[in-house]
Amino acid sequence: MERRAGKGTYITVVISVVISFFPIVWLILTSLKNTAGIYSWPPQYWPDPFTLENYIYIFTETPELLRYVVNSFIVGVGCTALTLTAGGMAGYALARLRLRFSTGLMLMILSVSMFPPIALLPSLFQSFVNLGFLNSYLGLIVAHTGLFLPYAVFMLASYFATLPVEIEEAAQIDGMGFLQIFTSIVAPLSWPGFVATGLIIFIFSWNEFPLALVLMTQDAMRTAPVGISLYPGEFAFPWETISTATVIAIIPILVITAIFQKQILGGLTAGTGK
Amino acid sequence: MAQVSLRNLGKSFGGTMAVEAFDLDIADGEFLVLLGPSGCGKSTTLRMVAGLESNSTGEIWIKDKRMDHEEPKNRGVAMVFQNYALYPHKTVFDNMAMALKLQKVPKDEIEKKVRDVAEMIGLSDFLERKPATLSGGQRQRVAIGRAIVRTPDVFLFDEPLSNLDAKLRVKMRMDLQQLHARLGVTSIYVTHDQVEAMTLADRIVIMEGGVIAQVGTPREVYDEPANAFVAGFIGSPAMNFIKLNRAEKGWRSEGALELPELNHFDLGSASTVTLGVRPEHIEVLPPETPADAWTYDAEVMLAELLGADALLNLSVKGEELLVRVNGTEYPDGGEKIKIRLAPERQHAFDISNGTAFPRRA
Amino acid sequence: MSQILTTLSPLERRRQRVGIGFITPTLLIIALILVYPVVQSFVMSFQQQGFAGDETTWVGTRHYDAMFASSRFWNALTVTVVFTLITIPVELAIGLGLAILMNESFRGKGFARLAVLFPWAFPTALNALMWRWMYNADYGIFNDVALKAGVIAEPVNWLGDATLAMMSMAVVSIWKTSSFMALIILAGLQAIPRDLFEAGRMDGMNRWQEFTQITLPLLRGSILVALVIRSMDALRTFELPFNLTDGGPVAATETLSLYAYKTIFEFVEFNSGAAIVVVQFAVIFALSLIYVFALRPKD
Repeated sequence: MERRAGKGTYITVVISVVISFFPIVWLILTSLKNTAGIYSWPPQYWPDPFTLENYIYIFTETPELLRYVVNSFIVGVGCTALTLTAGGMAGYALARLRLRFSTGLMLMILSVSMFPPIALLPSLFQSFVNLGFLNSYLGLIVAHTGLFLPYAVFMLASYFATLPVEIEEAAQIDGMGFLQIFTSIVAPLSWPGFVATGLIIFIFSWNEFPLALVLMTQDAMRTAPVGISLYPGEFAFPWETISTATVIAIIPILVITAIFQKQILGGLTAGTGK
Repeated sequence: MAQVSLRNLGKSFGGTMAVEAFDLDIADGEFLVLLGPSGCGKSTTLRMVAGLESNSTGEIWIKDKRMDHEEPKNRGVAMVFQNYALYPHKTVFDNMAMALKLQKVPKDEIEKKVRDVAEMIGLSDFLERKPATLSGGQRQRVAIGRAIVRTPDVFLFDEPLSNLDAKLRVKMRMDLQQLHARLGVTSIYVTHDQVEAMTLADRIVIMEGGVIAQVGTPREVYDEPANAFVAGFIGSPAMNFIKLNRAEKGWRSEGALELPELNHFDLGSASTVTLGVRPEHIEVLPPETPADAWTYDAEVMLAELLGADALLNLSVKGEELLVRVNGTEYPDGGEKIKIRLAPERQHAFDISNGTAFPRRA
Repeated sequence: MSQILTTLSPLERRRQRVGIGFITPTLLIIALILVYPVVQSFVMSFQQQGFAGDETTWVGTRHYDAMFASSRFWNALTVTVVFTLITIPVELAIGLGLAILMNESFRGKGFARLAVLFPWAFPTALNALMWRWMYNADYGIFNDVALKAGVIAEPVNWLGDATLAMMSMAVVSIWKTSSFMALIILAGLQAIPRDLFEAGRMDGMNRWQEFTQITLPLLRGSILVALVIRSMDALRTFELPFNLTDGGPVAATETLSLYAYKTIFEFVEFNSGAAIVVVQFAVIFALSLIYVFALRPKD
């Protein structure tokens, strides 16, 4: 029998939830105010009047802000697909193919995952310039894949290790090669692992800042976090547009997180607890 | 002609030998059981034959072809796993048909073969179901069916009945016997359950610590265990062992049990010996029976009724002996009785290496 | 004997080859995107690239000498370390509390879980912008709340004063990442067998004793992991000051990453920037080795 949650628990939960949600709620409220409402002192707590004019403005007047979101989608989806493919195969090799030195390889992959992105920039930027990779979706997709691949390998390898190995052995005796075992047995059986890993990688890619900032120098190629961050320009901060664009840019992430909270939670903590 | 021939087979994992110097010929149609405690190397041996594990030493021949460098699919083997290993996302039909599909067998031929086998093992009604909707026994039948469909040269079984409950296990054991009688395919069967081994096997290979302890028919390993390990492993409850030292006249145990000369064994110059008697081979005599050289007075310490049988824990001059008697009528705890250790039912083993001493003709 | 063990059977060799095939794409991408650039940054830090076709020359430790002589570098290093030292302990305390809270059973847990996940999922860069607005000296909600609560007498420029800006930045980081700390600790918490607590209660422990005698000792591993991951994260903080303060006022919140970025892309000094990132890399990599060592498979 568990100890019953007391009043103190509920009070703490309520306070934590309020603190967690408040900035997001405030952001959304801000995006629903008119310009006078945003720049008023004391601040308006409730939009007066309620208006969608900021959203209408973004959808009609600033196509570049929507373009950023589309770019983020393209890069995020591409990076997730590439990461799951390469990471799935590597994870399978490390978990199952009894590769010699697999422990050493795993440790190496884990340690490179800690490289600070800024340390890559001087050289990566120059290489991308030389290869003509700057301002290309493929370039940023590959760069993000490199950044998040170690994490995916680790997560997927831990997931594969939980599958009963006999099914793969039966497939081996039935006559499948390892690639076929991977695509037609392991992948379908570990879709929860792929879903969790894929969601987290997508969120990582969507949120990634330094590489996206440096490797996409054309305004039209920028991802949402970078584009919105640079939107203010040098002097004025048009908060009504920024807050509204931010809401649009985070909604996909928050919706994904809300729907798949269990999978994401499970994926984030896999392999760290024990 | 041997169907399967294993020559000096060995497997090392990081320097420790899991299986060593395994030599065995398995005849066409033979049902061979690998028996031993966990960690004895029996599963590793089976997995080397399957090709799931590479062998570190030796050779594997199947139907006069060297196979140990071949992939599992080319070895002509089919395997039944302990936890069934069915593809959970495929139907029973697809599970059974997988190997044939991969061999590019024509569709209608696959269809016919799978349906025939399903008919034979009573799975016709389940072909479109997914494994998760089946009971444990049904799943294991699918796993067996999948193996049959392939018409392999050799069946490999890795503890196939261990996950079933006791009742079902007996039923499946009998089904397997019938199946073998009907198909006559060479089979290698790994188990730690001696009842399965005794009932199914043409020959049993008993393994200990990665090496073969004895190969023989069920009768041979029971009647003439080659060493103390086999003697203790086969039979339930286990054989009684008494350590004896040579005395002035005859032999004497660490306690005070005295035995006459063991002239029915060829003991050579041994001065110590382990005497073995199975619980079911110790005779309990009425107290008024006249004594001879092999009768002893004993006290019943504890009597346990198992059902048809009863087990008596006896104290015989400081030695503890377990006796199995008929369960309908047996002495109670505390009673004094007489027992007899018939010489023709005794076994003697070398204390240093456990080898059985030969019986004198 | 050793001959037998070292030579692989053809079957084994074929499988090793398959395994290498499976892992090669990953190793290639990692080599190209992570390993090569770091090595190249290291090389660049000892070079000076010429302009427009001029040759690249080796300059020894010139960039390092200049860097160590520069007060701005030491400032950035100090800012980074101070920021890390302020945020991590607070995050750990809050994370531990949240984890224990999440491990309780109460109604509305799904909602609470979301409250823990949302800050993690929020892009740091946009989060920084959002807080910049809330800190705004003229229209920000924080001034209004603080005034009404009587904490301050007149509006404060939260990001305009060196100490205040650092504290303000730390608060944003704590809001964003305490929940991640909580997630890792929660995983460790759930790995503690329930019957240990039951045994503790049979022994008459109260909640505090449960916490100090059972929970904390068994959480040491998870706490270490959480600490190291978060420390490495804090040591490379970039987009938070980039968007919140741009490193200001003056350079009060200019972290190493931000300083390196400005050196490379604003002053276009790739080689000096390379020297900065090499130092930063060395610090973080040393920490990561501790992490890998702590997580190594025990066999």
